[in-house]
Amino acid sequence: MRSVDVVIVGASLAAAAAAKRLVDAGLETVIVEKQLLPRHKICSGILSPRGHRFLLENFGALPRKVLHEPTACRGVTFHFPSMVSMSMDFFGGTTPHLHRKHADHWAIEQSGAEVMDDTSFLGQVQCDDHVVVSARKRGGETFELKARYLIGADGPVSPVLRSLYPDYHKQIPMFFVGQKFHEIIDCPLDEAYFHFWFHPDLGHYTWSHARDGRQIVGVGYKVGQKFHDRHLYVAKYFEEKHGVRLKPADDDHEGCSENFGPSLINRYVFGKGRVLITGQATGFLNMIGEGMSCALHSGAIAGESVVDAMLRNQPVQEIYRRNIASEVRRTTDQWNPLQIAFARPHEADFPKALAALPMADRIRVMRDIWSFLKLYKEFKWGRQIAGLSMQRLLRGDYSRKNWL
Amino acid sequence: MNVSVESTLPADPVAADALIGIPRQQTNASRWQGEQWADFVQALQQQDVEIRQQCADTGIYLTDAGGLAHGMPHGVVVAASAGQIAALMQAAQRFAVPVTVRGGGLTTEGESVAFGGVLLDMTGMSRVLHVDKSGLIVRTQAGIFWHHLAEVLRRDDLDYISAPLNLSSSVGGTLGVGGIDVNSARYGCSADQAVSLQVVTPTGEIVECSDRENSELFERIILGYGQFGIITEASLHIRPYTPLRMHYFYYASLQPCVEDLLMLDASHACDYTGILTMMDTAITLLVAFDSDQREAEFMATVKAQLRGYGEWGFGLRLAAGFIWRPWRWREALFLLRRKRELFPDLQPDMHMHDGKMYDRTVVFSRAVWKHWGDRHMVIPDLATNRDKFVEAVERGNAVCRKYFPCYTLYCVGIRLRDEHKAHYELSSIPPDAEGWAYGCEFEPMYNGVAYSRDYLQSFKNEIYDVGVELETSYYRFGGMMKGYIRRALGDAVVEKHLQLKQQADPAMVLNRDVIF
Repeated sequence: MRSVDVVIVGASLAAAAAAKRLVDAGLETVIVEKQLLPRHKICSGILSPRGHRFLLENFGALPRKVLHEPTACRGVTFHFPSMVSMSMDFFGGTTPHLHRKHADHWAIEQSGAEVMDDTSFLGQVQCDDHVVVSARKRGGETFELKARYLIGADGPVSPVLRSLYPDYHKQIPMFFVGQKFHEIIDCPLDEAYFHFWFHPDLGHYTWSHARDGRQIVGVGYKVGQKFHDRHLYVAKYFEEKHGVRLKPADDDHEGCSENFGPSLINRYVFGKGRVLITGQATGFLNMIGEGMSCALHSGAIAGESVVDAMLRNQPVQEIYRRNIASEVRRTTDQWNPLQIAFARPHEADFPKALAALPMADRIRVMRDIWSFLKLYKEFKWGRQIAGLSMQRLLRGDYSRKNWL
Repeated sequence: MNVSVESTLPADPVAADALIGIPRQQTNASRWQGEQWADFVQALQQQDVEIRQQCADTGIYLTDAGGLAHGMPHGVVVAASAGQIAALMQAAQRFAVPVTVRGGGLTTEGESVAFGGVLLDMTGMSRVLHVDKSGLIVRTQAGIFWHHLAEVLRRDDLDYISAPLNLSSSVGGTLGVGGIDVNSARYGCSADQAVSLQVVTPTGEIVECSDRENSELFERIILGYGQFGIITEASLHIRPYTPLRMHYFYYASLQPCVEDLLMLDASHACDYTGILTMMDTAITLLVAFDSDQREAEFMATVKAQLRGYGEWGFGLRLAAGFIWRPWRWREALFLLRRKRELFPDLQPDMHMHDGKMYDRTVVFSRAVWKHWGDRHMVIPDLATNRDKFVEAVERGNAVCRKYFPCYTLYCVGIRLRDEHKAHYELSSIPPDAEGWAYGCEFEPMYNGVAYSRDYLQSFKNEIYDVGVELETSYYRFGGMMKGYIRRALGDAVVEKHLQLKQQADPAMVLNRDVIF
C-alpha cells in the first residue's frame, strides 16, 4: 500500500488551496478526483474580490483561458418585485468571471500536488496514526492509500462527509440550482453586473448574467420541484417585467444540489479525527450564493491546520476548528442582520445603496425583502439567526458547539 | 531586453482596475520541485560541503517568526566559512538550485523560509573577529545575533550603535533590511552603521566591499533584501557603552503624541525616542538619554513643550474618565493588567541602578518576546515622510481596531543620512522623505485567541492597502512584501534593480521570490 502524507478528495478550488499549503510545506499530497481533468463544473463563475486576491497571491496571474466573456464583473444588482433595482459595486474593484473547468484545473496544476483523476473515492477507515483511503480508477481495480490525513474537498454532496456521517444530508434542507443558456435577442440587463431577484414567486435563488455571448437564466429551489417549469416561469417573468428577450434555451442546461443553510445557522461540519471536511462541503456559502472565496480560504485553513498538526504533534481537529473560526465569523456575519445593518460584512455596500434610494423605494425594498424571507419560513431559521446575532454581539464570536 | 519583458506584470485579463490598490503579484510562490538535486548534492559532497537532508534537520526551518509561510528545504547547509558558501553558490548557479539564506529567521513574510532547494543557516558563522577599541569599529561574522555581539562588546565597555529591538536577529540579516532602534531618529538605521562587508556574490566570488572599495556592490548589498550577495563578515561602527536614562510620558490620543515625537526628533534634544501604545487611548512616549547632561538639558528646555502627562497624572485622568462609563470598565481592567505585567519588565530591578537602565539589549529583547508576538509575529507597518505620518498612524489604527480587540502600535523615526542615499534606493524608505522617515508597526495581541493565517494575512493586506492609498511604503523589519514593492517604489526602480539582479545572479537562485 502506498503511503503519503495527505490525500485530498476533489479537485476544486478548495482542494487546490489546501494542496498549495501542503505542497509548499513539503508534504506528499495526492488529489483524488472522480472525473477526468479538466472537468466541467456548474457554477455562475462570479468570484468575490476576496477570492480573486487569494488566487493572485497564491497561484499567480490568471491566464485568459480560465475566464469567460465578459471577463469581469463589477458588482451585483438586486431586483425587487416592486420593480426597484439597486446596483452595488464590489469594494475591491472588478472581479473575475471564472471558467470553472479551466480555472479549477489551472489552480490544481499550480498547487504542484499529484493528481489521480478519473478515480472515485470509495471509503476510508481511520486508525491510530493514519487513514486508509480506498479508491478506484474508472475501469480498474480498487486500491488503497495510507495517508496521515484525509481532506474532503468534494462539494455539497460530499462522499467523504457521507463516509463520516451517513445521515448528514438527510438532516439539512438540500436545494437544486440549475442554469440554462439562451441566445440573446435583446437584453437590457447590464452585463457588467451579476443580477439577483428577491422575488418569492420566482424561487429561492434566481439570477441572471451574460456569459460568452449568451444569457444565463438560473433558478434555485427546494429539491423536489421541476427544473424546466420553474425555468420557463422565470424566463417569462424576465421578458415581461424587464424586457429581456431571449431565444429558447440551448440544450446544454445544467444543475446541481446545494447545501444552502449551514452558514445561516452556524451548523458547519468540519470532520472527525484525521479526516477534515473543507470548502462548500462544510456548508460555507456567501450571501450572494458565492461559495468559491470561502472554499479557497477554508481549503487553505485546512491545509495550514494539517501542517500545524504535524509540526506540533497535536490533534488536527482541534487546530482546524480553532483556525476556521475566523472564516466562520466572516461567512456567518454575512447572514447576521445586526452585522449587515452596522458592520458591512459584505463585499458590496447594501446599506449605502439602500440609503441612496428615495424613501418610498426604501420602504418598498424592505417590504419586498420581508416577503421574500417568508419563503424560508418553513426551515425555522429565524429564531436561530436571531440567537446567533445576539451571541455575536455579546461574545464577539459564534459558538463552536453546533459544529459537527 | 527579453529579460525584463518576462518580469513585467502580466496583462490582467480581468479588468484594468480590478482589485483597487492591490498589485497583481503572486506572493506565495510555487515550491521548487527538485530538478537536478541529486547532481547538485553530489557536486557539493565532492567539495566536502556538508548538506543535511534528514527530515529532522530540515523540519526545524519550516517557518519563520511570522509563521504565515511554511516550506521545507530539500537540504540545509550550516555556514562555516566564506569559502564553503562560495562553493555552495557556484554549485547552485550551475544546477539552478534555489538558495535561501537565514539568520535569526525573524522575517514575517516567509523571506527566510525555503520552499524547496537549499537553506543556508548563517548562525554557524557567529564569532566576533576583531574589536578596534580606538577606531571604534568591530569586525564580526555576519551570522552573529545582536545580543551576542553586545555581550562581547561590553567586555571592553563598548556597545553597538543601533540594532533591532528583537535582538535574536542576525547582523547580516539586519544589514540587508535596515534594522530600526529607538535611537534611529538620531543615528539612522542599523545598516547605516556598516563600514565594510565581506560578501559572497550569487556566483560564488568572495568580495570585500565598502563605500570606497567595490562601492556599487556595497550600495546594493546594504538594504538589498539579500538579493545581491550573502554577507559573511561585517565591520560596524561602535561606541562607548552608556546606561540609559529613561522617561515616559502618557497621552490619551494618538495625534498629539505623534506630533510631540516629530517635534522631539527635530529638536535633537533626545537620544532615544519612540511611541508604544497599550491602547489607542493610553499611549506612551518613551524618551531616553545617554548622559546626565543631555537629560538635564531636555528637562530644562524641551520637557515643558510636551503635552503628555506623568504616570500619576495620566492615571487620575483615566480614572476620572472611566468612572462615569461602566461599559468601558473592561478596558480599564485591561490597562491595569497590562501595566502590572509590562512595566516591571521594562524596568526590571536587576537591570536598574540609580534610575538608569543597564543592559537595554537584555531588557528590550526579553520584553519583546514576552509581551508581543506569539506564534505569529505579525507586524505590518507603514513608513512615511513627516507630513503623512499622523494620518498613516490613525488610519492603520482604525484597521487594527477592526481586526483585534487589543493591539500595540510602535512608532519611531529614522534619520536619513544624505551620504547614504544610494543605499536607500531599493529600501522601503519613502523616496519623498527628507531628513527623517517615520515608521509605525501595527502589532496585534492575541490574548490566547487563535487566528488563522488567512485572517492575519487579511489584516496585513489591509494595512498595506492604506500605504498604497497614501502613496507611501513599508519599512519592514523582515523585508518588504513582494506584492507591494512595485507600488511602493515604482516600476522603474524595480526594473532597474531586477536587471542588476539578473546580471549578478544569472540563474536567479539567491533568495528568490523575496521581492522579485
